[in-house]
Amino acid sequence: MRTLVVGMGLLLASPAAAQQSALLPPYQGAYQPHGVDEIGLWREYDEDERTLGASSLVVRDEPLSTYLRRVLCDTVGEDRCASVRIYIVRAPIFNASMAPNGTMRVFTGLFLRVRNEAELATILAHEFGHFERRHGLDKFRARRSASDAAAWMALLTSLGPTYQTMQSYQNFQLAVYGGLFRYGRDQEREADRLGIAYLNQSHLQPRSASAVWQHVMEEAEASARAKGLKKPNFRTIAFADSHPPDAERAAYLADLAAPDGPDREDGTERYRTALAPFLPQFLDDQIKLNDFGASDYLIQNLATAGWTATLWLKRGDLYRTRGNPRDLSAAADFYASAVKLDPTLAEAHRGLGLALMKTGRPSEAAASLQTYLSLRPDAVDAGMIKMLIPGDTTK
Amino acid sequence: MKSFTRAIALAVGLIVFVGTPALAQERSATRQGFELAPNSGKKILVFRPSISVGAQSTAGMFEPNGEWTEQAKANLQAALAKAQTSLGNAVIVAPEAYGDDAQKLQEHMQLFAAVSDAVIQYQFFVGNRLPTKKRDNKNAVFDWSLGKGVANLPGAKDADYGLFLFTKDAYGSTGRKMLQVFAAFGGISVRSGVHQGYAGLVDLRTGDLLWLNADQEMGGDVRETDGSEKRIHQLLEDFPGSTAPQPQAQPKP
Amino acid sequence: MTKRTALRAAIALAAVATLAAPADAHKLAEKGKAVTVAASNLSVTPTRDWNRLSRKVGKHAENWTVDGEQLDEVTFHAAIEPGEPLMRERSKKKEPLPKFRNDMLLAEVPELLERTYRAGKDARDFQLSESAPGKFLGRDGVTFSYQVTDNDGLIRKGEARAAIVDGKLYLVTFDAPRLHYFDLLAEDARALMASATL
Repeated sequence: MRTLVVGMGLLLASPAAAQQSALLPPYQGAYQPHGVDEIGLWREYDEDERTLGASSLVVRDEPLSTYLRRVLCDTVGEDRCASVRIYIVRAPIFNASMAPNGTMRVFTGLFLRVRNEAELATILAHEFGHFERRHGLDKFRARRSASDAAAWMALLTSLGPTYQTMQSYQNFQLAVYGGLFRYGRDQEREADRLGIAYLNQSHLQPRSASAVWQHVMEEAEASARAKGLKKPNFRTIAFADSHPPDAERAAYLADLAAPDGPDREDGTERYRTALAPFLPQFLDDQIKLNDFGASDYLIQNLATAGWTATLWLKRGDLYRTRGNPRDLSAAADFYASAVKLDPTLAEAHRGLGLALMKTGRPSEAAASLQTYLSLRPDAVDAGMIKMLIPGDTTK
Repeated sequence: MKSFTRAIALAVGLIVFVGTPALAQERSATRQGFELAPNSGKKILVFRPSISVGAQSTAGMFEPNGEWTEQAKANLQAALAKAQTSLGNAVIVAPEAYGDDAQKLQEHMQLFAAVSDAVIQYQFFVGNRLPTKKRDNKNAVFDWSLGKGVANLPGAKDADYGLFLFTKDAYGSTGRKMLQVFAAFGGISVRSGVHQGYAGLVDLRTGDLLWLNADQEMGGDVRETDGSEKRIHQLLEDFPGSTAPQPQAQPKP
Repeated sequence: MTKRTALRAAIALAAVATLAAPADAHKLAEKGKAVTVAASNLSVTPTRDWNRLSRKVGKHAENWTVDGEQLDEVTFHAAIEPGEPLMRERSKKKEPLPKFRNDMLLAEVPELLERTYRAGKDARDFQLSESAPGKFLGRDGVTFSYQVTDNDGLIRKGEARAAIVDGKLYLVTFDAPRLHYFDLLAEDARALMASATL
């Protein structure tokens, strides 16, 4: 009787909008594949997982993997997350995927597009939603039985992953990417709804779901602007073919978020701490893609919760390597901010020295480069940097 | 004008029926000086074959098909054991590899795929040969290697040679078949299905590639048992010792 | 046959004909014979036979190989001007590659190569193992070595020499899988680089 009253109370408390969100399906125990299609599909993905496990593109860091796992388990529950194996794959793209057999791939570019634990949980819960609903199997079946015109059209649009076209000749690449195919738009909506339902019942802020997509759109705009391209139309671009249009998505995710959300935590500190050892590398991977607009946007987005020495350093690298005259002055400022926060950050001294050298401040430049060398006497490029310091006799 | 249009019609007909130029062929080669007599009792370590069977999407992208691959694996493994036993060699299946060993093995598999690619592109087939490889063909030289690291692969200590198998079958899917038909009206040929296979024998002491068979147009539907036997026969065609010793590295025109 | 089908057939024939035409043949670079490369005045004298690949990597670039670029590859970049990328861009606007700059320091050349590999070839990891002053083209230049992981996860080792002459960049790289092939040809590649003159 008491539980019924409590249950009723909860029902009455939730607003009309929340009723549209997917109710979490009851957990039915560890799932095993049934039927020829599913069994065959799992075996293929099991084989892919073997290859993935031995790939040099997997980031095998225990603390980071443990952290990811904890976030997933906290969000979808221990029972459910026991059927998942998470692999972090080094690729500068914003994506995560889940194969029907429980292999979850998180691509390292994703870490730059989420600012806190709540946003990370959003993506992981969304991917888990696909897995829970066995979207992969449905899609596979739909294609296998294709014989009419509509199915043929679906076949034509079922091409590879969103950001890059891939050569499909190399078996290993396929295994690492997992033969990513696009789920249908309705499947994406369903995964979104499941994801937000998980987030609503977690301790994290559910509004974060909508924020991630807002920022993805802003990043695309920033990239296009810097390249002098037309502003992307988020309702019609190819990226949106496989997903509901971003604008639509941001809207319904905001609607579905539980109203007490803003009072909850977003886990920014925990996320930053977990990511800190890898942030320099992941930022490097992004900056060196030569997409100035997107990279600058991402750095500034990550800095909304506060600038760190690493963020200043990488912004400095971004501007120095584009290298227009105004960029070099800006770079010098950014590097200076980095060393102010962390005087032991050797790369920042190096970058500062190079930027100062090219903006007509040679003596300050020499001082910075000298600091770099004293912090890193066995730097791989010590020989080249020494050459830039005039009057240096210790060659 | 009439003869012109007739010439065009003839050309169109040729295009539709002949298909894309024959860059794809089957070739095999043996390292200069290598011989493997039948019934020599050599131990051949078979590495986990890279077998992938799927559908080729309309645009030519590869879609793995679990059921087909599983069936193909079982068929190919059975056919392989049968074929090697008939040659008088012992086949040992490579042990499971984990952790660092698995990564090392994978790196070698990738190198094998890269070497096979290079052999096919630049030594075997007409139209794209590298000058130094053309010369090698004339001198019956076949000189490729995976390097001495193979000696440290799991199972290598107990065997003489290692066998690498790589097959990829992408059967034309419905869409691609339809595209083929439409394309044929326009006189452009579109291949439906990709059937590539490489089989390579490696000396486990030196890493030298002793024998390679490359086939870009394999036959045999590996989804069927007899198709797999046919495929294995094609993959292992001219396997050293399977026929009377013949002159090395026969270049086909 | 109507005029329309004749036209379609002619287009189709042309299309297939271009497909069927063999690529320009690769040329031999003979041991001991000096040749100029990369459409420039950069001249090298190989110490063994190499193959000169016919494909156009860029306006001022040329590939040499012994066994195929998958297994070993020397790339000559010659007379790269400020504002020019190292290799041909797929799309200048949508996928721009990093450019050589007139104020670029020799110490920054390894970074230019790394960024080109990542943006142009989808390299996933690049570790500079050494960068030091070294002679190239008879002048003060930079010699550097690295390890690069491609998007399949295959790991290659690399070595390069570069110099800036009259404001233009000259860079030669040698890349090969770290398994077997790098060591096999490193000495020949180094000799090739050492023989380079303008």
